[in-house]
Amino acid sequence: MVKKELITRSPLRILEKSTSGGVGKGNIGVITARKGVGKTACLVHIATDQLFQGKHVIHVSFANDTSHIVAWYEDIFHEISHRYNLEGAMDVHNELTKNRVIMNFKQNGISNEQIIRSLRSMIQDGHFMADMIIVDGFDFSKISAEEFHPFKEFAEELKIEIWFSSTLRKEGQTYDSKGIPTLLSPFSTLLSIIIHLEPKEEHIHLKLIKDHDLFPTPELNLKLDPQILLIAKED
Amino acid sequence: MTYNIAKMRNIGISAHIDSGKTTLSERILFYCNKIHAIHEVKGKDGVGATMDSMELERERGITIASAATNVDWKDITINLIDTPGHVDFTIEVERSLRVLDGAILVLCSVGGVQSQSITVDRQLKRYKVPRLAFVNKCDRSGANPFRVTQQLREKLGHNAVMIQIPIGLEEKLEGVVDLVTMKALYFDGKSGETIRETEIPAELIDQAKEKRDELLNAVSMFSDELAESYLEGTETVEQIRKAIRTGTLSLELTPVLMGSAYKNKGIQPLLDSVVSYLPCPSDIEYTALDVDKNNEEFLIKPDPAAPLISLAFKLEDGQYGQLTYIRIYQGSIRKGLELVNTRTQKRFKVGRLIRMHSDSTEDINEAFCGDIVALFGIDCASGDTFTDSSINVSMTSMYVPEPVISLAINPKDKKSADNLSKALNRFTKEDPTFKTYVDAESNQTIIRGMGELHLEIYIERMKREYKIELETGMPQVAYRETITQPARFDYTHKKQTGGSGQYSRVAGIMEPYAENDYLFVDNIKGGVIPNEFIGSCDKGFKQCLPKGRIIEFPIVGVKMTIDDGNFHPVDSSDIAFQLGAIGGFWQAFEKAKPEILEPVMKVSVEGPTEFQGNILGSINQRRGMIVATTEESNFTRVDAEVPLSEMFGYSTVLRSLTQGKAEFTMEFLKYGKVPNSIAEQLKKEYDERKKNEAKKK
Repeated sequence: MVKKELITRSPLRILEKSTSGGVGKGNIGVITARKGVGKTACLVHIATDQLFQGKHVIHVSFANDTSHIVAWYEDIFHEISHRYNLEGAMDVHNELTKNRVIMNFKQNGISNEQIIRSLRSMIQDGHFMADMIIVDGFDFSKISAEEFHPFKEFAEELKIEIWFSSTLRKEGQTYDSKGIPTLLSPFSTLLSIIIHLEPKEEHIHLKLIKDHDLFPTPELNLKLDPQILLIAKED
Repeated sequence: MTYNIAKMRNIGISAHIDSGKTTLSERILFYCNKIHAIHEVKGKDGVGATMDSMELERERGITIASAATNVDWKDITINLIDTPGHVDFTIEVERSLRVLDGAILVLCSVGGVQSQSITVDRQLKRYKVPRLAFVNKCDRSGANPFRVTQQLREKLGHNAVMIQIPIGLEEKLEGVVDLVTMKALYFDGKSGETIRETEIPAELIDQAKEKRDELLNAVSMFSDELAESYLEGTETVEQIRKAIRTGTLSLELTPVLMGSAYKNKGIQPLLDSVVSYLPCPSDIEYTALDVDKNNEEFLIKPDPAAPLISLAFKLEDGQYGQLTYIRIYQGSIRKGLELVNTRTQKRFKVGRLIRMHSDSTEDINEAFCGDIVALFGIDCASGDTFTDSSINVSMTSMYVPEPVISLAINPKDKKSADNLSKALNRFTKEDPTFKTYVDAESNQTIIRGMGELHLEIYIERMKREYKIELETGMPQVAYRETITQPARFDYTHKKQTGGSGQYSRVAGIMEPYAENDYLFVDNIKGGVIPNEFIGSCDKGFKQCLPKGRIIEFPIVGVKMTIDDGNFHPVDSSDIAFQLGAIGGFWQAFEKAKPEILEPVMKVSVEGPTEFQGNILGSINQRRGMIVATTEESNFTRVDAEVPLSEMFGYSTVLRSLTQGKAEFTMEFLKYGKVPNSIAEQLKKEYDERKKNEAKKK
């Protein structure tokens, strides 16, 4: 299969079709789930899908080192290229790596201002024209909506799509009337899309719980295949 | 001396240039030898002359010139290892840091933590070396060890705790208060050699108690036993020392000491702390690579009875001839033992075994794991591993990357030319990544290495150590040429010049080959090329590899398969088939879309986060690809892949962009395709060079 076909056949086109065209430039999306359900896998797949389209992605993490994040991207790429029997995989791979940069923040309690300052520096000084930013492992419990607002402004100013992941507590998680976890309720006006990962027996169901201003939200019919850690169409 | 690994210390002194490293080293030698000398007077037979005051004076004038100096402090033997002054990442720095078990980080009490201290400290951190901090020059005006301790915490991210406080400061510096024993220490006598221990002066008691509480709070983390006794107010000196040691060894604590080497204050307690808090060789887990098991990790046992594993970390051309410094990691070495060099598999016998003191050498019969000794007249390169023949392991990776940059050098006179060959001979032995040859066409000496800085260091050493006056050319990147698509060839070589002629026909396919530089495949069926000429084809292809047809750089990544041909019963010969293969090679090369490859370096730049933008910009301007950034305690590391040709002069640029506060390391990563615009430029330059050469002729 050639790259173009792979892009059209990507299950993420379903996400865009089911929602109002996906998150969209200048907007923020969140993937939320308990620990270990597959948030990173989803985000890396979303990012890789962008990379296939020749777009630029910054991956922000708060990990100990960056090598395992690179490994995530490698795994997902090889899984996709293998699955679709991608032509010229090596060249495509090289092209993808060029358009991806990882920004890792190791210090505890780093401020949002600092993260945004560094992102801006990467985009403006590093001339890295990001189309999407992935922020994996962001702690929503430690900040207020007001403190989060600069991210939204930043996304709008630079016309970038930002995806966050947010970890829910294992037990005793409460939801508001619209089905949004109370952890995220204060931020919901700033978030365009919220997807909740629900572990089912055989797979993980992607449940759309916020879609711009749409209510009730449509069904996505997407799942995360726990075997290959890719987003796929639900049968 | 009876062997006891717990009573050995291998330490280095790391410091910013002006923080008094040399003076401190001298004082350490002085106090250690002083004690040593007293032992001698007591009638113990052995090495080293008893020193009179004249010799002491002379001693005070020396600097540590040797790579490792053995001294005794009380009943502990300390190997003081010289850490290279330059901070650039080279194999040499790596080696000297490898053989250290612990380090003293010297800081100036006035200047505090400066950018170079940051660099030095990060190197130690990279090699996981436990360290003590010594705040020197407390006699200077403006001295403030409290501030320096604070900077250790803020700028270097150390969990730094004072285990002493000063008695007086600046010109009133008298001594230190030991917060562990809660005693005041004064340094009497002409050279501070007599320690007078008294009660803490009344005016310092409150401060001492406060700082002691800070110390105990910090170190209780490392010992439940101490934490309990501290609560009950029954903590003992032993408990505290043990906890400080645990914290220091785990790199989670940095004890801070202070004094003035110049004024002979605080050195003996520093030595005591080296003994109490820095690791002995068996405290550290070392690994080697098992050559027989595909370089699997091999855990070293600090056991003198185990098979010998030792590393040659430094070669020195001294007044005594060539010395090879080795660190013994496992087992023991003795005179007459047959050793094997893992790299070359050459065997040799240990002739003389030497221990280096500050002013003499001592012949010894044997040495055991943990120790550092020197061998005489061994033919080896630095970084080589020696074992007894029972084990085949290597302390360092045996992979030596090919040089990626070259530079022409011209000695200015006869004397320099003579010295140059000496210098090159030594450097190439010391450093396997440094190579040299004489270019046949230009008759110039070319040096090759892993980067611009790498070569600069050696040129500087040629000038300084060998007094060579020389001119250097522009650095040259080692490009490569390769092909991008398969191409068939079918070439007939025919020559009729009277007598016996030459005839061969060689046909097959040239293909890109990513796994290696070159592969030859014989697919000849039915003897269309006779067996005896198959090797000739291989030989012919190989002759084409050193010089490509784009810009005359070596060709890599080609697979040559021969599958057809012809021969003549009389006119075919080895040479005819070689020439046929060469003809076929170039026929296919033109069609196989050849392109130029350039060395791409893995570059890591570290600096304060405030300069992140400048660093990112500088990478971007150099056709660099940013792979990742990592921010930690106001420091940012940028990992990138940058073509070597763009990295010339980067250290100067980086310095000016970051006020000298950033450093970078660079190593060869891979060969990557040169963008078309740059390839055109290279071809143009090559054509011009050729034209000029033709004109000259």
